Amino acid sequence: MRLPWQRKRAVPELVRAYEVGPWPDARSYWRDVRYVVLDVETSGLDARRDALLAVGLVEIEQARVHLDRRWYSLIRPPAGLLVEASSIRIHGLMRADLADAPPIDAVLPELLDRLAQRVLVVHVARIDVGFLNQALDLSYGTRLHGPILDTSRLAATLHQNAQLLGEISRDMPIPAIQLRALAIQYNLPVYPQHDALNDALTTAQLFLAQATHLEHQGIRTLRALLRAGGVQSR
Amino acid sequence: MDEIAAFLRAYPPFDQLPPEAAMLAAEHIQIEYFPAHHDVLTFGGPPAEFLYIVRKGMVDFVREEEGEVLVFDSLGPGEAFGYPSLIRRRSPIVTVRTRTEVLAYLLPAEIFYHLQAEYPLFASYFAASALHRLNSAVRSRHQTAEPSLFQTRLQELISHPLIAIQPDATVREAAQLMRDHNVSCLLVNLPPYEVYDQNSGIITDRDLRNRVLAAGLPDSTPLRQVMTAPVVSLPVTALAFEAMLLMLERHIHHLPVTRDGVVVGMVTHTDILRRQSNSPLFLPRQLQRAHTLEDLRSYGDQVAAAVGALLDAGVRVSDIGRVVAVAHDALIQRILRDVETELGAPPAPYAWLVLGSEGRYEQTLRTDQDNALIYADEHPPDAPEYFRVLAETVVERLVACGFPRCRGNIMASNPQWRQPLSVWQATFARWIDVPDEEALLRSGIFFDFRQIHGTLYAEGGLRPIITRARGNKIFLGRLARAALRNPAPLNLFRNVVLERRGDQKNLIDLKHRGTAMVVDLARIFALEAGCIDTSTVGRLRRSWPAASIGETEAESLVSAFELLSLLRLRHQRAQIEQGDEPTNLIVYTDLSPLEQRELKESLQAIARVQRGIATVYQTGRIA
Repeated sequence: MRLPWQRKRAVPELVRAYEVGPWPDARSYWRDVRYVVLDVETSGLDARRDALLAVGLVEIEQARVHLDRRWYSLIRPPAGLLVEASSIRIHGLMRADLADAPPIDAVLPELLDRLAQRVLVVHVARIDVGFLNQALDLSYGTRLHGPILDTSRLAATLHQNAQLLGEISRDMPIPAIQLRALAIQYNLPVYPQHDALNDALTTAQLFLAQATHLEHQGIRTLRALLRAGGVQSR
Repeated sequence: MDEIAAFLRAYPPFDQLPPEAAMLAAEHIQIEYFPAHHDVLTFGGPPAEFLYIVRKGMVDFVREEEGEVLVFDSLGPGEAFGYPSLIRRRSPIVTVRTRTEVLAYLLPAEIFYHLQAEYPLFASYFAASALHRLNSAVRSRHQTAEPSLFQTRLQELISHPLIAIQPDATVREAAQLMRDHNVSCLLVNLPPYEVYDQNSGIITDRDLRNRVLAAGLPDSTPLRQVMTAPVVSLPVTALAFEAMLLMLERHIHHLPVTRDGVVVGMVTHTDILRRQSNSPLFLPRQLQRAHTLEDLRSYGDQVAAAVGALLDAGVRVSDIGRVVAVAHDALIQRILRDVETELGAPPAPYAWLVLGSEGRYEQTLRTDQDNALIYADEHPPDAPEYFRVLAETVVERLVACGFPRCRGNIMASNPQWRQPLSVWQATFARWIDVPDEEALLRSGIFFDFRQIHGTLYAEGGLRPIITRARGNKIFLGRLARAALRNPAPLNLFRNVVLERRGDQKNLIDLKHRGTAMVVDLARIFALEAGCIDTSTVGRLRRSWPAASIGETEAESLVSAFELLSLLRLRHQRAQIEQGDEPTNLIVYTDLSPLEQRELKESLQAIARVQRGIATVYQTGRIA
C-alpha cells in the first residue's frame, strides 16, 4: 500500500469524489440505507496474478432491488494473461467476447460512480474485495472505502443466533456458505449461476432475506448489520 | 433478466405479452422480500404503487370483520395482486397479508400503465372481477373456433323472410307469390288465424311439382288440398345439426323455426349445407345408410371421433354434449325402429327414456347405458312380454355398438325399470314423499330423464309429479343435505385439497369433486323453480329467478361447470388416445398455472353456492 502522495499518477476527480463519500450513516435504519450488491468473475483466485473478467451489480434502495439500475460489464484481461480453459468452463466467458471488452481502466470509472455513497454487499467478500482493491490500486492507487457487508458472514451470524435462540440444535455445524445453498434455504429463486449479474441478483435477494430475519432479532441499524456481517476493505 | 422475463411469461397475463414487452417489464422490476404475516397492502390504506407478482411464498386476501379474520383468497407464485387499487388509483379494497415469507416482483405503476395501454389482452385480464376472468378464460378458448353446425343455432341461420298465404288461395297464386319474393316455400295461415304456430301449414316448390303438376291438378287447386299441415318445426335454440338430422329423417328441405311456439322464420336445407364444412356433419347420412349392426357400431365410433374434433375446434363442452345427445339419440331411435320392425308394431304406446348424464345432454363419451321404458296402462296382456323382448334386444344392440351395460342395472331390460305409466308415477311420487337414501340416489338419475322415442307422452305423465317436489321442503332439504355431503375440495385457505391414491399424488377427481357437485346443485334449483329443463346449464340459467340462487352465482356455476367439464373431457380423451381407460382423476400439478387458477376459482364458486344452500336448508355446517 502506498501513501497518498506516492500515487503513480494524478488522481482523477472521480476517484476523489468516490473517496470523500459521504458514506451511509451507521445509525440509519437498514431499510433506509442504499446498497450496491456486486459479483465479479475472474480468471482465477489469486488477485495478484489473475484478472477481473466481468463485474455485475444491482442496487438496493428502500429495501428493494432495482433492476432498472443493474449494471454489467465484461473486462478485457491484460495482454499476455491466459484465461485458462478450466475457468472458462465455470463462467462461460469466451476469449473472443473478452477481446472485444473494454479494459479495466475504462470500466473502473463507472464502477466507482456506482459504488459511491453506498454500502457494498458481496458474497464471500474476500475474493471480490481483493480483486477490486488490486485493480483500484493499480489504476488509481486507491482502494474500496465504504462499509462492506458479506452475506456469507451474515449467514454465519444468523446460524449462531438461531443456535442461541434454540431454534436449531447447537450440534448443527455451520451451514454451507455456497450462495445457491443459502438461497434455497431461504426459499429464494436461484438465477442461472456463474454470471456476475445473476449472482449479484441472487446475493441481493439473499441479503434482503437475511436482513429481514435479523431485524426480527432486533438488528435494525446499519451499524448492527455491520457488526453481524461487516468486513474490512483490506 | 431472461430468467425473470421467462418467469413472468409463464403466467397470465404476462403470457399475453410478446417477448420484448415481457423483457421491458423484467428490466423495471423491483424485488422485495416480505416477512411472514406482513401486510403488503392494507384495506383503506395508501394506494398500491406497484403491481405485485408473487415469486416465492403465499399471500392471503384477508378481511377483518368483528374482530374475526376471514381469508377469502390466497395467491401463490406467478399470481399478481394490487391491480384494482393500481387501476383505480384508490385505496386497496382488501388487505393482502403474507402467509409465509414472500419474495415479490414489483412492477412500477408507470410500466404497468404502459403495458396496459399497449397490449389489450394484457389489459383485459385486469379489467374485471375474478368471475369475469373465469368467463373470459372459457370464452377465449372458444374464440379460435369457427362457428360450425354444432355451435350454430337455427336463430342464426334464418335467412328467408317469412311469407304467409291463405289456405283458400290457389296454387297459381302461391307460385306467383314465391316468384315475387324469390322464396321456395310459403307458410299457410291456418286457425287460429294470424297466429303462425305449429299448426300452420307449409307449401314448398317441391309440393307444387310433385303434388300439383305431376298429379295433373289444375292451377286453380286451393292450397289446403296440397299443403302439409301441421308443420314439422324446431325452436330457434335448436342446433343446426339437429335440423339437418330432422330434415334427413323426414325427407324435407324446409323447416319452420319457432320461438315460444310461434314460427319466426324458415331454414332451408341449403342454408345448412352452406355451413357444412366439418366432416362430423355427415354423421346423420351415415346413420341413414347403415344396414348392419357393424355399420351402427362404426357410426358410434364416428361420433366418438367427432367429439375429439369438436374439442379441438374449441366447441363448448355443453354444446358437444348436445351434439352427442342428438347423434346417440338418433342411433337409439334407429335401433328401436329396427327392432319394432322385426317384432311387429308395439301393442301399446310406450316411451323410451334415457337417464342421468344422457338425459342431461352431458354424455360426451360412450359411457354406461342408463335407460328405462314406460308403457301405457291400458295394454293387451301380451304387451309386457313384447316390451321385455324389445328392451332386451335394444340393450344388447347398444352393447354391440359400444355402450356397456349399466353396472347398477338401470336399464329397460331390468323389469323394475320397465313398467306401466301408473307404476312409474307411483314410484316417482314415493321417492319424493319418502326421501330415504335409495330415493335420493334414484331421483338423481331418473328425474333427469328425457324421452327419445315412442308415442306415449312421458313428460306429461311424469314431469308434473316431479314438479310437485317444488313445495316439499323435506324432500328438498334431504336432497340438499345429500348434495352437501360432497363439499368443494377446498381447505380453510380456499386452496384446492388434493388426494393421493396409491403412489399417485396431487390428484383431483373432476367428476365427484367437480362436475357432479354442480349437477346436484342445479337439480335442486330446478326442483325449487319447477324448471323442466334437464341440462345442468339450462337448469341454472332458467331456474335462478325462482330458486335460492342469484343470477351472478348461477352464471359462475355455469362457467365452473363448463371449465370442469372441459378439463375432464380433455383428460379423458388423452387417456383414450393412449389406449387407457378414461378416468376422472387428473394430476393437479400437470395443469398449466392458468388452468390451476381457473380450477381453483371454479371450486370457490361452487363452495360459495354450497354455503348458500346450507344456509337456506339449515343443513348445519357443510359436512
